[in-house]
Amino acid sequence: MRKALPSILSVISAILICFIAAGLTRDFGTALDAFTAMLWGAFGDWPKFLETGAATAILRPLGEAGTKAAILTFTGLSVAVAFRVGLFNIGAQGQLAVGALAAAVVGAKLEAPGFLHITLCLAAAALGGALYALLPAILKLKRGVHEVISTIMLNWVAVSLIDNWLVIGPLRAAASGDNSISGTDQIHATAELPRLLGDSSRLNLGLVLAGVAALATWLFLTRFTRGFEWKAIGLSQDAARASGIDVDRGFLEAMLLAGAFAGLGGAVLILGTELKYPATLGAPWGFDGIAMALIGQGHPLGVLAVSTLFGGLRAGGTRMQLFGVHKSFPELMQGLALLLVAAKLMWERLLRTRGTP
Amino acid sequence: MIELRHITKRFNGVAALEDVSLEVKPGERLALIGENGAGKSSLMNVLYGLYQPDQGEVCFDGQVVKVKTPAEALARGVGMVHQHFTLVPTLTVTENVVLGHEPTKAGRLDLVRARKEVDDTCAKFGFQLDTGAVVRELSVGSQQKVEIVKALHRGVKTLILDEPTAVLTPQEADELFAVTRRLSDEGLAVVLISHKLKEVMAFSTRIAVMRRGKKVAEVVPGETSPEHLAQLMISLSSRERGEGRGEGPNQAPPSSGAVPDQPLTRPPATLSPLPQGEGTLQLTHLTAQGLHDLTLTLHPGEILGIAGVDGNGQRELAEVLTGLRPWTSGTLTFEHAPITRWTPHLARAHGVTHIPEDRLRRALITDLTVEENVSLGRHTQPPFAKGPLIDFPGRRALTTSLLETNDVRPRDPQLRAGGLSGGNQQKLVVGRELDSNPKVLIVVQPTRGLDIAAVAAVRAQLFTQRARGCAVLLISLDLDEVLELSDRVLVMYAGRITGEFTRAQFDERVLGRRMLGVVDA
Repeated sequence: MRKALPSILSVISAILICFIAAGLTRDFGTALDAFTAMLWGAFGDWPKFLETGAATAILRPLGEAGTKAAILTFTGLSVAVAFRVGLFNIGAQGQLAVGALAAAVVGAKLEAPGFLHITLCLAAAALGGALYALLPAILKLKRGVHEVISTIMLNWVAVSLIDNWLVIGPLRAAASGDNSISGTDQIHATAELPRLLGDSSRLNLGLVLAGVAALATWLFLTRFTRGFEWKAIGLSQDAARASGIDVDRGFLEAMLLAGAFAGLGGAVLILGTELKYPATLGAPWGFDGIAMALIGQGHPLGVLAVSTLFGGLRAGGTRMQLFGVHKSFPELMQGLALLLVAAKLMWERLLRTRGTP
Repeated sequence: MIELRHITKRFNGVAALEDVSLEVKPGERLALIGENGAGKSSLMNVLYGLYQPDQGEVCFDGQVVKVKTPAEALARGVGMVHQHFTLVPTLTVTENVVLGHEPTKAGRLDLVRARKEVDDTCAKFGFQLDTGAVVRELSVGSQQKVEIVKALHRGVKTLILDEPTAVLTPQEADELFAVTRRLSDEGLAVVLISHKLKEVMAFSTRIAVMRRGKKVAEVVPGETSPEHLAQLMISLSSRERGEGRGEGPNQAPPSSGAVPDQPLTRPPATLSPLPQGEGTLQLTHLTAQGLHDLTLTLHPGEILGIAGVDGNGQRELAEVLTGLRPWTSGTLTFEHAPITRWTPHLARAHGVTHIPEDRLRRALITDLTVEENVSLGRHTQPPFAKGPLIDFPGRRALTTSLLETNDVRPRDPQLRAGGLSGGNQQKLVVGRELDSNPKVLIVVQPTRGLDIAAVAAVRAQLFTQRARGCAVLLISLDLDEVLELSDRVLVMYAGRITGEFTRAQFDERVLGRRMLGVVDA
């Protein structure tokens, strides 16, 4: 808990700074209204619910927050597990795109009953993401290419291949009647992630999957000897190698898992909300994953918590526009929180001087 | 004349120096001796401006001066040569010597003048150095001379040498002492920090003995003996009381071989031998990067010492044997079966363990806890694991007993390994490796940076392993240590074995020549 303190304080400070910024540029009354709206948009409009008794006032915001949180958790875990062995996976965006495409293709081209279809889509997405992450891992082990360089560049390779060719070319949806449709074919209903709170809310199985993934990752990293090996590799490759740990294998496994998580993030995006690979993926989920992993300090449950918070704030951010405050404020908070967490030494010094005078 | 008056220095409340007074007079050779952590280096660091004393004062010619930085110390004529050199390897001798106060001509570096000035300094004090040579290509002994010339070139009147012979061959050490004698004849004061009693007796005109932060005696060599000095250095009464002699944050720089002059009882070899042939490790015409055509056999129940000047293939040899370095030709045979694949994992699986030279790089992960470090290497086996899961109670139990038997302090399995003092880290590493009952033990510089009690404990454990029938390969830069512990010694020079000696043939002079690559006619 003590270790989480810098992250918690960073997030709170970031929100406060943004509030003050909004207050100074508009006025503090408007800022307060806008931030309250963001909060209701993130975690349910409880006052409206109490007033009108309309359940949708809570369910709809929760749905938006939950779907965003699920994707952020997956890409955050992707970056976090690579971090555990000391690798910086900047390639979650590309891995997510490959996974998303795999899920969209299997969801649309294949027919299978209910849960089997979903499982196949998820497996295809995980495999696609993992294989796409295997590339930089092999380049690193065989040729010594730094993973930061290769994963960054492979992001653009993925975007160019998928968005600029496959989705507008070979995999483009057939036009129905006079309407030309952007993106790939719609997935079958059997491949859609079931919704958890009825039709009024888009909250789906994806959030549950993300929670399970975070918990499982945490257990793996802390309870299993292989998880211990990853930690040892991340802290000291030399000592890990000298003690007989297969460092190369650790790199491979961690990158495969990282890619699989990013791919699953893509699958949750497609199977839960988009229902096809759209013309463009929208938010840079993979890059946001870096922020989630860093603010969550690489701890799987920390990533889950941070993703839930920022997933919510982003969902609520759209409501700020009603008060003339730009909807990008949640992203600003995320960026500030990241900066403040990165100033780790500052927190350590502040917390220490408080603790022991 | 320099006077240190009633110096006290504390680190986190622990006194590293307590009311120490010392005079350094022109023209004398003062030896400052004591165990690791006794305060020798701390005291000199106060004089050199690296530490500020909490109490007491430093006087130069009767005038109280606050020396805040090494630059101020240099300006007052105090120079210090550390054990770890501060030279730029890619620059020439001249460039290194003038670095920081280079002569210039119209704003441009005047290397011609610089070289002439440095040559003059060398000539004045009788150093034979090629001032145009690139430092990287010099031997360790010559690099040390460059360090000394660097200090002399700045007009130093007092020269502090911190454990200067730790990295030298006996011949190079003799040369160093000849040089210091010339310097003192010139009127300079030379202070030697050491814990090698033989050299102290030969070198000094005065000896100050430190123990646990206090100066306990001042003697002249004519009135003392190595035995007497050893007695002064080690407070036997305090050892009997079992007081923890904490290694403060002021730990002296790593050094090897404390009081080698003390005779050590060698237990008989092979009390309970392993079955025939077990644990025999052989290299035949093995060549690897840094190693040329090595042939050697390591027998169970013996300590095979490798002597050599730093950087002559010892590290590479240890890496090959422990699976960290591939070889290009030749064979490695273990228990009479040729080995084709050899990784750290396989080496451990065969019972070959490693106490590496650089414990912070290879042996310990400072950000892991003590118990996690204890499990490192055996983390997939009981009692550290149950199937794929970590066995937390098993790990804790074994760690607790290991800390106890190896006297690692504090006895806290959950402490960060980086929070242990150097000596306790080494005790932890040694304890961990020996706990697996190895057949072969590759030990590199096992006593580096340890105090006398820890050195004795580590050496005793090596003898215990030998008695068990373990094959021990001891690589050390400290020739005294190698000669004392080994049943047989191989000398390495430039990646080759240049000599083999059994105990009866041990002769420092002959070994020293082989270490320098000189083959006797």
